[in-house]
Amino acid sequence: NAAPKVKSGLNINTHISIAKITGKVVDEKGEPLVGVSIRIKGTTTGTQTDASGVFSIDGDSKTVLIVSYIGFATKEVPVGNKTSLTITLTANTNLTEVVVTALGIKKESKKVGYALTTVKGDLLDKAKESNVAYSLTGRVAGLSISGTNGGAGSSARILLRGVTSTSSTQGPLFVINGVPMDNTQRGQSGEWGGADYGDGIANINPDDIETMTVLKGQSASALYGTRATGGVILITTKSGKKNSGFGVEYNSNYQMDKIYDNTDFQTQYGQGEFGVKPANLAAALSTGSLAWGPKLDGSSVIQVDGKNHPYSKTSDDYTKFYKTGNTFTNTVSLTGGNETGAFRLSLSDMNNHAITPNSGLNRKTFNFNGSQTVIKNLDINLVANYILDNEKNRSGLSDGPGNPNNVQFLAPNQSQSTLAPGTKADGSEQSFTNDIYVTNPYFAAYNFVTNSNRERLISSISARYSVTPWAYVQGRIGYDNIHDKRFRVEPTGTAYVSGSNGNLKIQQTQTTEFNADVLLGAKHDLIKDFLNLDMSVGGNIRKSNYDGIYINANNLILPYFYDLSNGAQRLSGNIGSDSGTLDDDPKRLQVNSAYYTADFAVKNFLILSTSGRYDYYSSISKALGPGFFTPSVSASFIFSDLTHINGLDFGKLRLSYAKTSSAAAAFTNQVYYSVANSINGVPAATFSSQLANTKLKPYTLTEFEIGTELKFFNDRLGFDIAYFDRKTKNEIVNATSDWAAGYTNYYVSSASVSNKGIEVEIHGTPVRTNTFSWSPSFNFTYINNKILETDLEGANLGLGTYRPLNATTAFVKDLPGPQIMANDYKRDASGNIIFDATGNAETTARIPMGSVVPKFYGGFNNDFTYKNFNLGFLVDYRFGNKVLSATNYYSIFRGLNKMTLEGRETGVVGVGVTESGAKNAVNVPAETYYQTLARNVSALNVLDGSFIKLRQVSFGYSIPKSILGNSPFNSITVSLVGRNLWTIMKHTDNIDPESNFAPGVNYAGIEGTSVPPVRTYGLNVNFKFKK
Amino acid sequence: CTKNFEQINTDPTKVAPTLISAPFLMAQAQIKFSNSGYDQLLFQSMWSQSLASTYDYYGNGDKYIYAGSGRDYFSRTWNTSYGSSTLIDEMKNVIKGNAAFSNLDNCGTILRMMILQRITDAYGDIPFSQEGQAKDGIVAPVFDTQQSIYTSMLSQLEAATAALDVSKAGPSSDLFYSGDVSKWKKLGYSLMLRAAMRLTKVDPATAQKYAEKAYAGGAMSSIEDNAKVKADNTNGNGNSDAAALLVTDDFREVRWSKTLIDYMKLTADPRISAIAEISTGTGKKANETQVVGVNTASLQVGMPNGYDLKGGATDIANAPGYPGTSPANPAVTGDADAPVGKYSRPQFAVYDDRNRYNFLMTYGESELLFAEAATRGWSTGTAATHYANALTADLQTLAQFGTTSVPAASIATFVAAHPLIAGTALQQINMEYFVHTSATFNFNETWANWRRSGYPVLTKVNYPNQFATTIPRRIPYPLGLPSTNAANYAAAVARLSGGDTFIAKVWWDK
Repeated sequence: NAAPKVKSGLNINTHISIAKITGKVVDEKGEPLVGVSIRIKGTTTGTQTDASGVFSIDGDSKTVLIVSYIGFATKEVPVGNKTSLTITLTANTNLTEVVVTALGIKKESKKVGYALTTVKGDLLDKAKESNVAYSLTGRVAGLSISGTNGGAGSSARILLRGVTSTSSTQGPLFVINGVPMDNTQRGQSGEWGGADYGDGIANINPDDIETMTVLKGQSASALYGTRATGGVILITTKSGKKNSGFGVEYNSNYQMDKIYDNTDFQTQYGQGEFGVKPANLAAALSTGSLAWGPKLDGSSVIQVDGKNHPYSKTSDDYTKFYKTGNTFTNTVSLTGGNETGAFRLSLSDMNNHAITPNSGLNRKTFNFNGSQTVIKNLDINLVANYILDNEKNRSGLSDGPGNPNNVQFLAPNQSQSTLAPGTKADGSEQSFTNDIYVTNPYFAAYNFVTNSNRERLISSISARYSVTPWAYVQGRIGYDNIHDKRFRVEPTGTAYVSGSNGNLKIQQTQTTEFNADVLLGAKHDLIKDFLNLDMSVGGNIRKSNYDGIYINANNLILPYFYDLSNGAQRLSGNIGSDSGTLDDDPKRLQVNSAYYTADFAVKNFLILSTSGRYDYYSSISKALGPGFFTPSVSASFIFSDLTHINGLDFGKLRLSYAKTSSAAAAFTNQVYYSVANSINGVPAATFSSQLANTKLKPYTLTEFEIGTELKFFNDRLGFDIAYFDRKTKNEIVNATSDWAAGYTNYYVSSASVSNKGIEVEIHGTPVRTNTFSWSPSFNFTYINNKILETDLEGANLGLGTYRPLNATTAFVKDLPGPQIMANDYKRDASGNIIFDATGNAETTARIPMGSVVPKFYGGFNNDFTYKNFNLGFLVDYRFGNKVLSATNYYSIFRGLNKMTLEGRETGVVGVGVTESGAKNAVNVPAETYYQTLARNVSALNVLDGSFIKLRQVSFGYSIPKSILGNSPFNSITVSLVGRNLWTIMKHTDNIDPESNFAPGVNYAGIEGTSVPPVRTYGLNVNFKFKK
Repeated sequence: CTKNFEQINTDPTKVAPTLISAPFLMAQAQIKFSNSGYDQLLFQSMWSQSLASTYDYYGNGDKYIYAGSGRDYFSRTWNTSYGSSTLIDEMKNVIKGNAAFSNLDNCGTILRMMILQRITDAYGDIPFSQEGQAKDGIVAPVFDTQQSIYTSMLSQLEAATAALDVSKAGPSSDLFYSGDVSKWKKLGYSLMLRAAMRLTKVDPATAQKYAEKAYAGGAMSSIEDNAKVKADNTNGNGNSDAAALLVTDDFREVRWSKTLIDYMKLTADPRISAIAEISTGTGKKANETQVVGVNTASLQVGMPNGYDLKGGATDIANAPGYPGTSPANPAVTGDADAPVGKYSRPQFAVYDDRNRYNFLMTYGESELLFAEAATRGWSTGTAATHYANALTADLQTLAQFGTTSVPAASIATFVAAHPLIAGTALQQINMEYFVHTSATFNFNETWANWRRSGYPVLTKVNYPNQFATTIPRRIPYPLGLPSTNAANYAAAVARLSGGDTFIAKVWWDK
């Protein structure tokens, strides 16, 4: 490996006695380096550079200085006869790459004994996703991101190394600039409808992100103790650099979203029932979403608008209902830095118009990051991220009133514009089917209101004092304060809200997380030049609070006036009280923690690390003991330092083991009663149907990991491979009991989940010339998930369902979770389908049909640069997962699916046998047959969710400096970007395999009646002004 | 800094065990149990042919076909009832051993028996002896046989009723009787009578024994003793039947059944104008407009069960005696014909009142049961007297809705015109039970008494794809049981002849 070299230009002369040596340490760009360790070789005398990169030390001409700085090659500098030195340190490229690890502690990448992946901000900020988490899709081995089809700013389901536990909400802890931030999902749709209200990570402006570091294994995240089980993602926001002067950068991004039609419905038969066209308006209205009419013949037939239209395939199909969405994002950032301080301030505005009419998102973010050396060796840092987020009309999803996406199920001859304007002459809803709970899409889009807004301040202030060149103390306070409002209106004239002028709901919640921590760090040779100890100890106090109120105003008195004062009946209460189920229970939690981490480095090739954290929770019964200790050990062995292998630049073997625990929810270990609504003045009380959790401790997760990192041929080819084996124990299951037991749910400490997997990241630069380079990278994840234990009886743990209600997902013992449980065809011993006496297919009980979580996934990214051009594209893939599709159900039930063409006019005689074994001969009218089939054989709706997609393409051009010349610009970069451009492979007819109406693990892989997927095309322009 | 942890971990919005007032739980159990809404409308109300409907999700009750969320409805009566009994169980836990609450405890037992009887009558063998004990670790209770349940129920009712002490305080949060212990005592004996009379087919000896005990003990003696609960819409406990019927589809297409209206017309029952009406205007719009209709007795027509609006053989237009559509009103834009507009609906002002009373057990029912016991020759007084009392009470009871009534003169005339006749006594008594429990919207009772007595004599509806080959006599167990309580569920199903179906009979329904 590259031995430290003396920079030429330093003359080494015969020895001269001098009293004081002064110097400055800079990086390759000439920027001063602060806090660089300077030591006189062969002594313990040392100092470090100040804020200007300057140091002074006593010595003579024979003195040799050892100059070391994290991330840079250590250098030995003979002083010679110079009294003033300028020492340039070289960042030793990848080999001494510095990574941010837990608690924000920076470490040399090579010394880390566990897997982590850093994603740079420039991969996230060009083709912008409204939720930055989506941009991580396909980029990190082990990380699986699933979106929600709910419009801009929808939530992400983020799974690191598989489905960690049997909990329905799981995902990593996000830590921004060292401070944990709230990523609570703000409400999801269920089988009965609802909307996706977004999550916490969606608030972050991608333009502000410097890096995101994914700490995958438990050893990596163990320092976060009980919050580490889902992994940790560290976000570092951009900051100013000292002595950088004043800089201005402006980034403008415009993106268009175009609906991406996945349907391939039949186009031969039109609206109607049992082969009959609607004869009058009433018939048209009662068959508004049924394509069981006769063959399209071009005749004139009444539609739901009361007018006659040609009975032929319309070009005004559902896709015309949706608009071209657009998102315009503008970010200005100012940076500055002098000798003692630096700052960055950015202002950003994102304005989105969704594809769903009358819907959109506006997000304004203000980000400040400032640091200042106050006195010698004391630096303070202030970070503030203020977010104003306004969502207009979050789209209704799944099955419930107010969902405009039912427009997707019109018969082939039905023009979507016949549903417009969605109102009758008196302003009330014009229903278009015989089901009043299926709201007219226009009425849903233009009359329903589902607005939410959020004000959020994520702030932290920290102070770091260097006690000696090798030790520091740091204190930090972080505060994440979120205020959410939600306003929902079921408008006057809504068909299913009878006898009143509608209802409205207002909800306000406050979420805060306060963290105060202190960290002492020291790094010192225990045995000089042989054994080094790098150690930190610290403590943290966390206080979390969540509370709010909601008010429903029901039965509005005056029409069209949507205010609380207008409710004939008002209901109010705390979030989660029995009369309102709008959100979770209030929560209040304090956790006191202490932790340590210690790295023992033998020379620089063997590093043994250990960490431990002790968490003491307010929410755990005292009787169960004081708290939890979560230890980790890891080792990093850089074998390439010991032996030389041809072509191998770097080789590391790493091993780790950790045990962590899950958090304990507040308020669950006591029996509570609540005062119920009085009945004609008589007071009443009730209590939860959930039995309290008085005796149980949170579960533990143990993980063993082994991995290697290899770099060949001057870093032209590199591998990072990890194998992990993780298992949970004593997961608290909220088991289902029957009402007859007095409670519907009780906690039992029984479940266990195993995830074993392999992560591979391959990166390389096969071609690198002066003007052209090609850098592909490929990642691959294989996960073998298995539910080892469920409840004490080994029963399935139910998760979610979709509106047809004829299938569910569940954790099933000994199978990968979550499984789709559906009714399949009942077959005889020879495999013939059995039909009942009415000619309809019989079904099995619900049986496991496969997991909704992929077994293999990953991405393949390619970056090409040619002179000032660059081209990048990302392909990602998923294999081995199933999807439960309500769209498929409805398409069969409503006669849209091509399979319903068979026997359309003749009736269907199902191919199979009767119970007695005779050939089935009963002819069933097509509509009856397929509707019964769709209802009964839910296995038909279980589809293969595998896909390969061209996820992102970006093409950029930087205008050469020679052209910019005397212009005010230092650089201008123009990029054309596209997201979700091409589904290269899929197996799901009529739907996008990624479709999902809710982000919770309980609804993973379940789709239906949500916002259609989009292709995104955009233009990004970045201007950096001259200083 | 951990000394506040206990306080931090206390939910500020909930009541700690030390603060709870146990009697409050009883009121919650009463409102929850009485307010059954769709629980009884979807199945029981139409199996008993009290109501009829052409609308889709009523297919479960009207036509014995799965409609709407079909199988999911099996659990409704079960869940609501056990959800109510658990409140009583917990109340009894809280006051256990506290002599000051002995009346509350015994009232709790009486209410609990009332609740559990509804469950066992609907499903058969059910968790009884181990009901509501998840707190003590029993999350999968055994299913007791209905026979043992009835044995226990009768003796528990006997003990609890006898132990009520009228000189001591009654329940303080009591929606039945505002804490009047003497009324609770009468309820206890009337419930004992009702439970006893369920056994007439299967165990007449026990039935006689307890019917006579009830008579001796002192059952309900006036309509003031009726066990009923008034809903309170303003405070979030609106009447669930009303909420259901006010849904546009339900309002437009739920009608009194032909079986009921025909019988009432046959007997010139003056209650017809107190419970039935047709819409005032014509056309679909009028049929959906939620206002008081026309209650003239001669205009009332019951809808036959088993019809729909689908234009086929079972379209209501093809029903015998179809009164024709209620034609569209040309003055109303976009109006259409109302195909069921001429059939009688439950009166809007009465049954769609969100503050309406729910009746659980009435003096009239009690008297009818005594009348039947006496007819059977048991020592429970004079059948004819009980019957006349019942008729008077039943007609007067409607006034307790507060939104309708039968004129006193009509009551006297009707009672005088319908004396109990020995040869037709059982029929008269049980047909009155049918009319009365229908008129009070207590369809669980209508259906149970039909299964027991055979009255009214009902004709099964025929329709494609039915889930039952006879009129359903049982509700299958909730679909979740095989996963939540597999072994006990399987054992209970094994005891059912014909399996876990709608047509298997519960023990007393021999």
